[in-house]
Amino acid sequence: MKDNLSNKEWKFSEILADQKIRAKWDKVRKYFFLRESTYDIANRCNIRCEGCYYYEGDKQFAEENRDPAAWRELMRAEKARGITYVVLAGAEPSLVPELCKVCFQEMPLGTIATNGLKFISGSINYKIHISVWGNDATSSKVRDAKNMLPRQIENYQGDPRAVFVYTFTHDNIDQAREVAGILAEHGCKLTFNMFSAPVGYEGQLRHTVSSLNQTRKIMIELLEEYPASVLFSHYNAVAHTHQSGLHDLYSCSYPRMNPSTDIGLGRSFRQYRADLTWNRVAACCVPDTDCADCRHYASGSAIITARLFRHATDPETFKAWLDYVDTYLAIWVMGYEKSDNLCRYVVAPPGQPVF
Amino acid sequence: MTTAIDVESITLRVAEIMIEELKLEDVTPATFDPEIDLIDEVGIDSMDLATVALVLRDEYAIRIDEDDYPKLTNIRLISEYVDKKLKNAS
Repeated sequence: MKDNLSNKEWKFSEILADQKIRAKWDKVRKYFFLRESTYDIANRCNIRCEGCYYYEGDKQFAEENRDPAAWRELMRAEKARGITYVVLAGAEPSLVPELCKVCFQEMPLGTIATNGLKFISGSINYKIHISVWGNDATSSKVRDAKNMLPRQIENYQGDPRAVFVYTFTHDNIDQAREVAGILAEHGCKLTFNMFSAPVGYEGQLRHTVSSLNQTRKIMIELLEEYPASVLFSHYNAVAHTHQSGLHDLYSCSYPRMNPSTDIGLGRSFRQYRADLTWNRVAACCVPDTDCADCRHYASGSAIITARLFRHATDPETFKAWLDYVDTYLAIWVMGYEKSDNLCRYVVAPPGQPVF
Repeated sequence: MTTAIDVESITLRVAEIMIEELKLEDVTPATFDPEIDLIDEVGIDSMDLATVALVLRDEYAIRIDEDDYPKLTNIRLISEYVDKKLKNAS
């Protein structure tokens, strides 16, 4: 464990004097042009998962716009206002491949969040994030879907677009070992997400301090055991299992929690519903999540990445941030290859205790 | 008078840093309009501004608050911000 409590005031140029830091900084900063927005491209799903963010709040009732011309027009308008990256999500994008295709034709960088049960054509060259919520016994229970992992692997094994996203809930922590082993055996890439309770959620999947600590240990264990498969870093583990949520740690930059429209996500980010409407008050990457409990991998990817300045205080903190950004890009951007992590130990978030 | 000269020299240096760090083309420090809106017209965003702020922090040994970024929408405003910080520090 390294602390960042040293009294020395580092110049940024001194931090960058380290060649490994400089190399990674030069690598990641080429992607600072990414400007994201997210889109619920369908309101249907072929399974129903406990705690699914989509089926909370008003957005689930938005009528689907299935007109490819309308989506094409939207993508062109998005591009015109500076958006360079799209995330197609809720409820299940694989059910509307023709709309995904139109989006890809207009906006070549993006990710589709899917349950992975229906294959998405390789002609749509977005990253494909396949949700995994435990082993198959757990999937049967909380997703009412049998043999999920074998079906997901069958669809996406060997596909460079695919990243399996294991969501740690309070109840499936130990199962990650089994799932990671299977995915590594099949050569699949894996990253980790944290269950973040929707507003008003009273089920058993919500994390506790104890489950956060246990999750962190397993994340790091799997990162070290399967370095070729697991796209993660020690700092990812710290940031997403900290006793404080992402907003408390880093101050969320999505419009829902950020009133500023001057610059950054507060200015450009929109979350479109399936009827192509959007509402600034509700706009974030995982709407209807309880902000105080949000440790979602998607929100961290934007919030922590945006906090460059506060991580540029000393070499250890900056290395941790670089590992995080390198991980984020490997998960979300086609063709980006992750480098070895610079920190193989935990580093505290700026101004916070390490856990 | 001294302040005016200082602000001008800061303005030129900020423009130079912008061009170098953000790899801006078809502009020189002398031709960079200090009033041009960096966000709407140059197309830079929060990560770019953070990068420039880090270089400015090094160069002028000043503290720049993250909350101040939204106010720094053109080179003139950045220069005045730096100038004010320098005066407060002296």
